[in-house]
Amino acid sequence: MGMGTNGYQKQAMRIYRFISEHLYFNRPDMEVKGERFNSAILLSLLTGLKKGKELIIGEPGLGKTTSAEYVCSLLYQFPLGVIWGSEVSGHPEQTEEKIIGRPDLGKLNRGEEDVVWTNFSQVPVKIVDEINRLPETKQSMILDGVDRGNWEYLNEMIINDEYCLFATANYQDGGTNTIIAPLVDRFDVMVESRYPGPNLSFLIGKDKRKDHVLRHPKYESELYHILKSKIAYEKKVSKIEEVCNAYGDYIEEVLEVKSFQRQDRDQIRTEMEGLGLDLDASAFTRMLLAELSFCERYGQKRVVENCEEGCHYTGYLCHQIKNCASNRLPSSIKQYAQGLAWLLEDSEIDIEHIKAVLPYTLAHRIQWKDEILSQKERTKRDDPFAIFLAKEAVKAVSQRYGEQSDHLKDALAAGSKIFQGGDLEPLEGDHPIYAEVKKDIDTRKR
Amino acid sequence: MKSSLPPKKNSTLFLDKQNWTDKNPFEEFKTLATPGLNLPMDQIVQDSEAIMDRIRWGYEKLLEEEAKELVWMVQYNTIIKAYEVAEKYIKEIDYTAEDIEDFCFALENTQRIPYLIPGPAGIYISALCNYAKEEEILLKLSELKTEINLVGFRLPRGKRLRVEGDTGDFTGIGLEGGELVVEGNAKNWTGAGMRGGKILIKKNIGLHTGEWMMGGEIYVGGRVRGLGNIVEGKVYERDKLVYPGKARYPNLYY
Repeated sequence: MGMGTNGYQKQAMRIYRFISEHLYFNRPDMEVKGERFNSAILLSLLTGLKKGKELIIGEPGLGKTTSAEYVCSLLYQFPLGVIWGSEVSGHPEQTEEKIIGRPDLGKLNRGEEDVVWTNFSQVPVKIVDEINRLPETKQSMILDGVDRGNWEYLNEMIINDEYCLFATANYQDGGTNTIIAPLVDRFDVMVESRYPGPNLSFLIGKDKRKDHVLRHPKYESELYHILKSKIAYEKKVSKIEEVCNAYGDYIEEVLEVKSFQRQDRDQIRTEMEGLGLDLDASAFTRMLLAELSFCERYGQKRVVENCEEGCHYTGYLCHQIKNCASNRLPSSIKQYAQGLAWLLEDSEIDIEHIKAVLPYTLAHRIQWKDEILSQKERTKRDDPFAIFLAKEAVKAVSQRYGEQSDHLKDALAAGSKIFQGGDLEPLEGDHPIYAEVKKDIDTRKR
Repeated sequence: MKSSLPPKKNSTLFLDKQNWTDKNPFEEFKTLATPGLNLPMDQIVQDSEAIMDRIRWGYEKLLEEEAKELVWMVQYNTIIKAYEVAEKYIKEIDYTAEDIEDFCFALENTQRIPYLIPGPAGIYISALCNYAKEEEILLKLSELKTEINLVGFRLPRGKRLRVEGDTGDFTGIGLEGGELVVEGNAKNWTGAGMRGGKILIKKNIGLHTGEWMMGGEIYVGGRVRGLGNIVEGKVYERDKLVYPGKARYPNLYY
């Protein structure tokens, strides 16, 4: 079904196709409602549009950073050179001064405190390269900024109204650390930037580099000048936008790809926010969340508490995982499913949108039990292990949902009536969601 | 130089935050027609649980009477006696093939059946299958960690029992004309004493196959480790007739 008539979806899809066909060689690896996409480009596009946070994993040299750079350049109208200059690289010697800001030394000599903010903290597109090479103590340094767009230094603060974050990570090797759990949970999605196959890889090597089409020395120079100027951040933002709009016009003229101005992106977000979940999407998501958080014996899942044998719920995900789903998970699911539904010009979010984005919102957040890991490690698959396990989990819950969707929706409807004072008994069922519905109703009654 | 001002208080947002505990978490489902007080599904679940309770109780009585201190030896008279006890309790229950499946699942997956003793469990399940109304029964035993013995005991003519997974010893002994299909492996003494009917084991089979078999046919898709002393009947290994066939000594490995 059609949505607005402003053509924003077509514009976004043109950006997708331009990146896919000219800049980031890839194979489609996901299908949504009959349309095939490459997950890295699609999810990066949604991250950019939704002001999300994405973790991109993959082997070295497979385009993790590059894919994010292209998406950011075309969505936010930043010349590639400025994006390069705003990236933070994860290495053990990284400092707060290189990530967030430093004292203005000239003013400091005069006894005044003022901050020179880094490009990274000021621009809306934030790329942290090889985040898992930052030591764990340094990772927590950017936690607050990553989470809320607040950057604080020397009691000064800037707040980014609009930003998105892309962080890349190589697979664990001698030079990498673990990304700390509180930081991992803050990523909305995790996706792999995959090897495109030997034939496409050969083409990349054969052809000249194409990213120069996104460079513009003049606008890059102007932007650098604004970013390092001493004017108030709010005034910088409007000046930056002017230059970015000019760059956007250049891109449209040369590449015939129209990018988005700030008001366009705001309008897109408003349209996306207007999309609601249909009943199946809502019920299915609740069912999944129940399996990822429920524990009959201990009240909820906790990573420090072991599952007991003989539990009635051994057939559900709660028996296979160690930790509890965070409250950020449903937010990520909804945001990205909304973005996808908008992009496909659907009028509401249905279960297909949810199932498409779910594995990528789950993969980095679930801690599987060791026996599950050893059981499934050698299974034939195309995806990296974490994403594969998440896809399997979604399939399993989807099957269970298919078997009892009507009864579950009836249970939720009965819950609604009881909540409003209706004289009904909650419906029974084997799945954890029915127990959770009862708990919510009991809480209301007290 | 301050770069940003604190956000202004929005009184509407503040009010929303105060009222969140009254917010109906199921609100979007309120437009769905609510089920009546007594749903058919509620009744089905209740009835189903009552039947499962009775089936469970019958099994516990069998253990009580026949497996003293949870020890049970496989001998001709203990098998016959256990089957008679199982029959006694099962005849009083009105159950379906699905209930048998649920019972098999419950054997290892709930705390409500405390003991899984493979012999009596197999006898009990066999009795349940033999007395079920349905002609075709499917047992899903692949998830069980323990192999059940004596599955298909005395399966009568007209009944077809299919088992997903492996079975233990004494599979299909005393078969009385029924058809028993095991999708996995079976162990020793398969088809011992069977009088007629057909046993199909899709994978491998153990020793003493068809011991004192008096009729019927056993088909094995994989390997037969050893034949028993067969009186009458036929045994096939991978579509090849191995009994009666060229002289074979019982229980030879080959």
